[in-house]
Amino acid sequence: MKWVDAVVQGLLLGSLYAQYAIGMSLMFGVMRIVNIAHGDLVVLLALIGISIAAVLGLGPGFIVLLLVPIGAAVGWILQRGILNWAVGEDPLPSLIATFGLSLALQNFMLTVWQADTRSLDAGALTTRSVELMGIHVGVLPLLIAVVAVVLTWSLHMALKTTKFGRALRAAAADSVAATISGVNTKAIYAQATAIAVAVLGIAAVFQATRTTVSPSDGGAQLIYAFEAVIIGGMGSIWGAFVGGLILGVAQVVGSRIDPGWGILIGHLVFLLVLAWRPQGLLSRR
Amino acid sequence: MQPTPYVVRRHTVSSKIAIVVAILLLLAIPTMPFWASSGHIRLVVELSCLIAIAQMWNLLAGYGGMVSVGQQAFIGAGGYSLFALSAFAGLNPFWSVPLAMILPALLAAPSYLLLRKLDGPYFAIGTWVLAETFRLITGNLDVLNAGSGMTLRAMSQFSAHQREVGLTILCSLLLLATIGGTFLMLRSRLGLALTAMRDDAVSAASQGVNVGRMRFWIFVVAAMGTGLAGAVYYMAQLRISPGSGFDPYWSSICIFIVMVGGIGRLEGPIIGALIYFFATRLFGEYGATYLIVLGILTLIVALFAPGGLWSLLSKVRDWPWFPVGHRLERRAEAP
Repeated sequence: MKWVDAVVQGLLLGSLYAQYAIGMSLMFGVMRIVNIAHGDLVVLLALIGISIAAVLGLGPGFIVLLLVPIGAAVGWILQRGILNWAVGEDPLPSLIATFGLSLALQNFMLTVWQADTRSLDAGALTTRSVELMGIHVGVLPLLIAVVAVVLTWSLHMALKTTKFGRALRAAAADSVAATISGVNTKAIYAQATAIAVAVLGIAAVFQATRTTVSPSDGGAQLIYAFEAVIIGGMGSIWGAFVGGLILGVAQVVGSRIDPGWGILIGHLVFLLVLAWRPQGLLSRR
Repeated sequence: MQPTPYVVRRHTVSSKIAIVVAILLLLAIPTMPFWASSGHIRLVVELSCLIAIAQMWNLLAGYGGMVSVGQQAFIGAGGYSLFALSAFAGLNPFWSVPLAMILPALLAAPSYLLLRKLDGPYFAIGTWVLAETFRLITGNLDVLNAGSGMTLRAMSQFSAHQREVGLTILCSLLLLATIGGTFLMLRSRLGLALTAMRDDAVSAASQGVNVGRMRFWIFVVAAMGTGLAGAVYYMAQLRISPGSGFDPYWSSICIFIVMVGGIGRLEGPIIGALIYFFATRLFGEYGATYLIVLGILTLIVALFAPGGLWSLLSKVRDWPWFPVGHRLERRAEAP
């Protein structure tokens, strides 16, 4: 029962990682870019949310409603202002630019919010739990999992069925051909990044209510998102979701074996997948 | 028959001066304990390590086309090798420093074989995951004193003066190995292949360069150089912990130095290291604000001046220090 419980808790933790990962997968799929400041943006949005909550006395529900448009705006500005200059065959400019951004953002947050760990108070929601087949499951983690499924499914459907999704897939397949066919690739890129960071707005609220955030946490979140994407399979939104769940299970099961091993076991599972199935578990290749 | 009016040269006046100055500096560093203060020696040790680490990152990213944000993996591995060799094998710490290149090489080879499966930018994050894995493993190994780190007790058998003599000699050798080694390599046949890869990996491959094998060896050699620098650096510190040896900030330093100085040129990391070193002395007291400026500068250079300062300088005056190419010059008229 102890291990079933660990797996269930791992799945719930992993659904938070899935929320970080789908945005990263989307951006890489479309532009072949990895934003090294991805995790720092989660922390930035969470800290903004915590400050707004403290000033206006709003609950987490309202904070989500505010952070999603803020995230979308941040993503749009990030793409228009920085990343659109760096899209191209060579991965170096975008990597180095976002690396610099990450260093600047982390220290900016350190100046504004200091090094303290903070969290968002969600009242009774944080402590309430339900019993499913003898296992106690927190209502908040359950909500996170449901939201992760809904987000992944909506993004998948948006890519598959909408006009925007078609334009995005066209830009991903061949940006020059897409431009000739009348797709404004730069605008599509900006929309993709806006969506990716808007999703981080939701993830940020969950991260801040579930545990704590501090300005230096971004690197770890980036690594978890990346591991989720690679475990699941590059370029697949559902792959990122499943990868997040596997990573969560590996970490929780690992930490039940030895409290110092949780994150390490997560890394080792990632390296194992890289060794045995580098195209990812969900990839059909 | 009329001789052609052109001649192919490698060296220029600037490069002859630069190489003489470089050799004199390398010879001068080991004499420092006899005339300079301990404080200045510490600074020279730090600067040498920065130049070496940055030069290795330049080899990796500039020539090999592999951006790494995980070079701290090899700094920590080199540093810990030194501490472990002197603590458990009882070796003289000064002789352990060159041996500290073995573990980084042994770790780098399988690491590269795993990471090469990752596409472009994902390779970079993969190197970070490896560095984090090494940090966590080291932090869980009780034999290495886990998270609290180790002290280089063996150094207490030497006087302060002896330590300084040893350290400065090691620094000179470190610079000779990283800069001199890269210089000689770039001038060889291998260098032609490396330069071709720097300019375009695909066309280099079409000309018969085995890009995969070259990258493997670059990754291993860069890890060895980085590990050597890590061993020298932590020998001067006398203490190492997983948090410091495997600190991701090492990668920030590499990236800043090479990008601002000039990537894909031997001179770039030296200029970048000098700028970083003096900027940190002058503005380091501003802490977070200083780092915000470093970050934004890196961003701007990456987007708008990808060749860094060296390429901007070269546009004004083409005065190379370490010539690795050939230049065509008009033969001086016979009197």
